[in-house]
Amino acid sequence: MPGGNKIAKDGVSFNGRRPVTTQERLIRFEQQISPHLRSAYNLARWLTGSHEDAEDVVQEAFLRAFSAFDNLRNDDGKAWLLAIVRNTSLTLIRRNRTAPTIVGQEQHVEDPSEPSPNPEEMLLISRHREDVRRALEQLPAEFREAIVLRELEGLAYKEIAATAGVPVGTVMSRLSRGREWLRRILSNPREGVQQKRSSAG
Amino acid sequence: MNCEDLRMYLSAYLDDELDVAESLRLEKHLTECSGCRELEAAQLDLRSVLRDPDLRFQPSADFANRVASAVRQQAKQEARKESIGFDWFRGLALFGPSWRWVPAAAVLVVLIAAGTFLILHNTRSSHEQLVASAVLTGHIRSLQAGHLVDVPSSDRHTVKPWFQGKLDFAPPVPDLSELGWHLIGGRLDYLDGRPVAAVVYQRRMHDINVFMWPHTGVTDGNIQAEEAQGYRILHWNGADMTYWVVSDLNRDELMQFARALRGR
Repeated sequence: MPGGNKIAKDGVSFNGRRPVTTQERLIRFEQQISPHLRSAYNLARWLTGSHEDAEDVVQEAFLRAFSAFDNLRNDDGKAWLLAIVRNTSLTLIRRNRTAPTIVGQEQHVEDPSEPSPNPEEMLLISRHREDVRRALEQLPAEFREAIVLRELEGLAYKEIAATAGVPVGTVMSRLSRGREWLRRILSNPREGVQQKRSSAG
Repeated sequence: MNCEDLRMYLSAYLDDELDVAESLRLEKHLTECSGCRELEAAQLDLRSVLRDPDLRFQPSADFANRVASAVRQQAKQEARKESIGFDWFRGLALFGPSWRWVPAAAVLVVLIAAGTFLILHNTRSSHEQLVASAVLTGHIRSLQAGHLVDVPSSDRHTVKPWFQGKLDFAPPVPDLSELGWHLIGGRLDYLDGRPVAAVVYQRRMHDINVFMWPHTGVTDGNIQAEEAQGYRILHWNGADMTYWVVSDLNRDELMQFARALRGR
């Protein structure tokens, strides 16, 4: 494909050649990866549920990403970085099973596998930011992750698939179910709050 | 398509991720089924709630610096291990136990390397490089200043005539909405020493600036791509117009966009 060759020749992107020195790699890394720090933090924060954990995860992910930077073969540095952030988050969560927003709460929410198309209920959802935040936190991690990547980070399905390491079809179904689930929680947000209180006390 | 299928596909449809055939079938079902229209309204409502930018967590102000210095620290250690060409790094350490020199040296190395890299890079086509960075600056400025468009309209018949009398050429403003590229409007900008047309398209939350101005040199339809500061910049020379496309959209999609635009 002639267009493709042109890109490889002219792009700041790699020509399939390895960067020669660490310094050169650092410059490219700072151009291509560092701009995604906010996205990395946001994802880590939603996955771990804590500011401190998110900062630890992102810092570790950046160091891992820098070491593995030569392995990045395409231009999609964002999805690549977010995949590392995701895996680092999951490692931390597994190590530290106390993170309350990941485990423990999701059992309280019922999967709305059976549709209840009651239009009145459907149109009344809470618009309070704190309710929305709490509702998202209650979702199981894989749904929350898909929604955060899509709605908050604006990723395409293909990019979400690359980040989460799943097929595009899975992304589609997680988003579909996740949103339906979220809408259910938001149409009755106080219930979620009460559950949180009772499980805390 | 029945209601059950619609429940499965609605989300992807609203995300612009469904193929044309399925989208048409879904739209047909929507016109026929009021229950599913309610479902669509509810999903749109949810989307508007999720669009709140404050839902996105922000890192603390100095976090970027902390991470950058951790990465540089690691780069420094790796550079020290790479004996080739950077032995003087070790030599510097011999100046004494004063490790304060090391960060300074690392910064120096980075600056020299950056300078060399940029100089080497720029010899390729310094003029194009200059235009590319002006294009990128123009894009970022248009987003920051909240001045994306002078004529906000999704109708090409509004946007195209607007440029008349403001420019000495008529920029092409194709309607690409069927392909999922939504026209947002147009704006005057100043690039490469002349007033140019900026036409803005959008996909999802990604704004795409298309800068155009007349061009008299060789026609070269090949799309050149580069990346800087997390943005992608595409460039080609059409028959009588030069094109610069810039966005933070992923490369594959932006290439699709450029091909759609070029194809007209």
